[in-house]
Amino acid sequence: MDGVLLQVVLAGLAEGAVLGLVALGFSLVSGTARVLHFAHGDITMGAVFVGVLVVVGNSPTAAGLTPLTSLLLVLSIIAAGAVLSGLVAMLVVLPNLPSVSDESRRRLAGVPGWVAGGLAAGLLLRAVLGLLFAQQSYAVPDPLRVDALTPDGLLRLPGGNTLALRAVVVLVIGVSLGLIAERSVVRSRFGRSLRAVADDPAGAALCGVSVRRVVLGAFLVAGLLAGAAGVLAAPGRAVSVDEGAVLGLEAAAAAVLGGVGSLRGAMAGGLAVGLLQAIAGYLLGAGFYDLAPLALLVLLLAVRPQGVAVRSFAWRANGWRASG
Amino acid sequence: MSVISMAQALWLLLAALGLALSVSYGGLPLLGQSVFVAVGGYGVALLGPGGTGLPLGLAAPIAVLLAAALGYLTALSFSRLDGAYFALATWTLAWLAQRVLVAFPDAFGGSEGLTRPVPMHLVSRTLGADLVLTGTVNLCLAAGLCVVVVLALVRIGNGPAGLDLAALRESPELAASLGVPTTSRRRMVLAATAALGAASGVGSTVLLGVISPSDVSPLLSLQLFVAVILAGSAHWWGPVLGVALISALPPATAVIADLVGFHAAPLQGVLTAALMVGAIGGRELLRRRPGVPQPRAWALPIAGPRSDPATQERSVSLEVAHAHASYAGVLALDDVSLLLRGGQVGALVGPNGSGKSTLLKVLAGEAGTGEVRIDGKPHRARSVQDRVRAGVVRTSQRATVLAGITPAQQVALAARGAGRSRQVVARHLFATPRSRLDEDQVRATAAAALRDTGLTHLGDIDPIRLSVGERQLLQIARAVATGASVLLLDEPAAGMTPGERDTLRSVLRGLAASGSAILVVEHDMLFVGSVADWVTVLDAGRIIAAGKPGSVQADPAVREAFLGTA
Repeated sequence: MDGVLLQVVLAGLAEGAVLGLVALGFSLVSGTARVLHFAHGDITMGAVFVGVLVVVGNSPTAAGLTPLTSLLLVLSIIAAGAVLSGLVAMLVVLPNLPSVSDESRRRLAGVPGWVAGGLAAGLLLRAVLGLLFAQQSYAVPDPLRVDALTPDGLLRLPGGNTLALRAVVVLVIGVSLGLIAERSVVRSRFGRSLRAVADDPAGAALCGVSVRRVVLGAFLVAGLLAGAAGVLAAPGRAVSVDEGAVLGLEAAAAAVLGGVGSLRGAMAGGLAVGLLQAIAGYLLGAGFYDLAPLALLVLLLAVRPQGVAVRSFAWRANGWRASG
Repeated sequence: MSVISMAQALWLLLAALGLALSVSYGGLPLLGQSVFVAVGGYGVALLGPGGTGLPLGLAAPIAVLLAAALGYLTALSFSRLDGAYFALATWTLAWLAQRVLVAFPDAFGGSEGLTRPVPMHLVSRTLGADLVLTGTVNLCLAAGLCVVVVLALVRIGNGPAGLDLAALRESPELAASLGVPTTSRRRMVLAATAALGAASGVGSTVLLGVISPSDVSPLLSLQLFVAVILAGSAHWWGPVLGVALISALPPATAVIADLVGFHAAPLQGVLTAALMVGAIGGRELLRRRPGVPQPRAWALPIAGPRSDPATQERSVSLEVAHAHASYAGVLALDDVSLLLRGGQVGALVGPNGSGKSTLLKVLAGEAGTGEVRIDGKPHRARSVQDRVRAGVVRTSQRATVLAGITPAQQVALAARGAGRSRQVVARHLFATPRSRLDEDQVRATAAAALRDTGLTHLGDIDPIRLSVGERQLLQIARAVATGASVLLLDEPAAGMTPGERDTLRSVLRGLAASGSAILVVEHDMLFVGSVADWVTVLDAGRIIAAGKPGSVQADPAVREAFLGTA
């Protein structure tokens, strides 16, 4: 493989690992709450800017941080993700969810409400941050500082090729975080409630599970993961508040590809979409970098909305139906 | 307010009214209206004067038709999707369109967009006319179109198509079982939405002489969507109110920005978003009535006495041979054959999970495999509607309520059933004599079905207030009104009071006497004994006994299946 393509693939996979974390949250919320998290991308970018605002102020530079401020930045971005996600859930999603007992109307009622609510919440977040961060884009300081490990931030391979060290680290941390999150959701008590609600909200409610609390919990976990994704993704390039909307759709593409509700599928989907994006941008031109995942999502929803994975519990949970 | 900005607001309203057709009437959460506006705007800019040079009178209709085709295709592609996923798909389309416009600057002028000289001319050689589309003319056109669309929306909402769409929104499955052509209705609705969106795009491009990606951004889709759902229901004034609010924002922001000393542009974004979040949060306050159009109560004609059964005798029969069905590898029906004859009531009994409901579904063309013959001729159903058209209707174990549509209207909906034609909407819209004739016939059928099921006195109440038994009877009334000659009833007596059971018994015997073939799934053997001519017993997907009610009950195999070995 020639050097440039290798860099492209690695960058794509690193971006994909980040996308996978965002997609994981999207998939978690969609699979359990039967709610599509339309503000998720905006929350990811929003968390980064809120964290930066708290720790560094509203005119960040790429300049180095002290170990203490680095830690603070990481923690506040992750916390901001959870807080923002929880706020969206409480303000616009939960009030628009029909009660669980209202079986016949569950599927259609309220849908326009929380869809528009999520989108409007994302828009509000973007607009408010846009008011505070007036520039088109910003360089965010890197709290991880991994590129300082080697003199030029590159990792030399035996064949003479080089790899961007940061991309390797992002890829490794991203995938590990995703797997840890997946295992803990599957194993924990909270994870069991999540799956119970995903399978049958009315049944779960009868067993004493508070459906609203579980839904809120799913949003909070998704927010934490979004924050972690922001920490990994934002530094090292120019980021803007407006990226969130498309980022959310890219994550949705990853989640649908892996089968909505399947957490491992979301992670794998993220890697695939990141790779697709990087290669499309490299071969066809920069304009296709954003275009390719959007086109993929439209295609998937038209042809194979259940995703390419053979089996996932989302299939039943979301009740795809063939309308007559 | 200047003429230009008024005309702009009216074009926005036209797009919102078009969207209301899909969202409020069709129940489709469409988040991609900006795509269709873009097709109209860019279409007329590329094809019309200044582009390929077609006259405006030709370029504009082409752009609108193109959008309608795209709308139809969108409905076709995403017809399998649940509401929220439909929203996701169309929202993605809105962003995709945006990225495509920017990615091909040679064709679409990049982020600057395309500019065309204004005012444009609408020229007709045959009429020798040359209309200069000044701001005022444009304003009149926009206002005229909006008025026409509002009138059409009101008329459609009150007519047969309004009922179809209300049923479609409440329960797509049930609508399909009543013969509402759900898929084609959705496609038509979305095509109309797209056409109106494109007309809006054409209108504002002709008005301003410029179309750019920022004019048709996904934000436009979102604003229109919020404008439409603001009133929370299918009232024509909902979009009007919403668009008025959104159009009032920029001037209002300018005033506020002056007072506070902020920049107007970012502040406007914040206020727009805050208005939307507030509107969605406070939407419940605006919505006092259930979110469906309320077609006026119908005065159904008083149905005459039941005509002599002998004159109606039909020799209908429904037969299935070698029916098989399985769920996820579990065999539910194993080589079952059954014959229903007109004039007889059959009963299907058996323990839970023995395959009774599945057999009804096979007969109704909804599941499994098997050779189905209607009146001796093989019948293949590609959809539930095919079987409904052939006169076979199934009712479900749990009656769907269809909130907001009165029982009389529900039965009328079914009465239009199999005979419903594509032209019914257009006929109603223009109130042709044919449509009035159709209407009279529908009302007569509906009144007869209500009378036969003893529901006449409940025709105009809110269906939420019906008891469980009355809901079951309403299901049967709807099935009868479709003109079905074969009725497949899944536990119709479940939850009925003794009085309602008596009504049900006489309804079933009456229907059989008029020649219908009836198959009832039932657990209560006393009820079966009093109503059925023959009984078939299923156990674990096979027929274990068949015959007269009395003899079947004495059968040792049946006793074993129900009670276990002694």
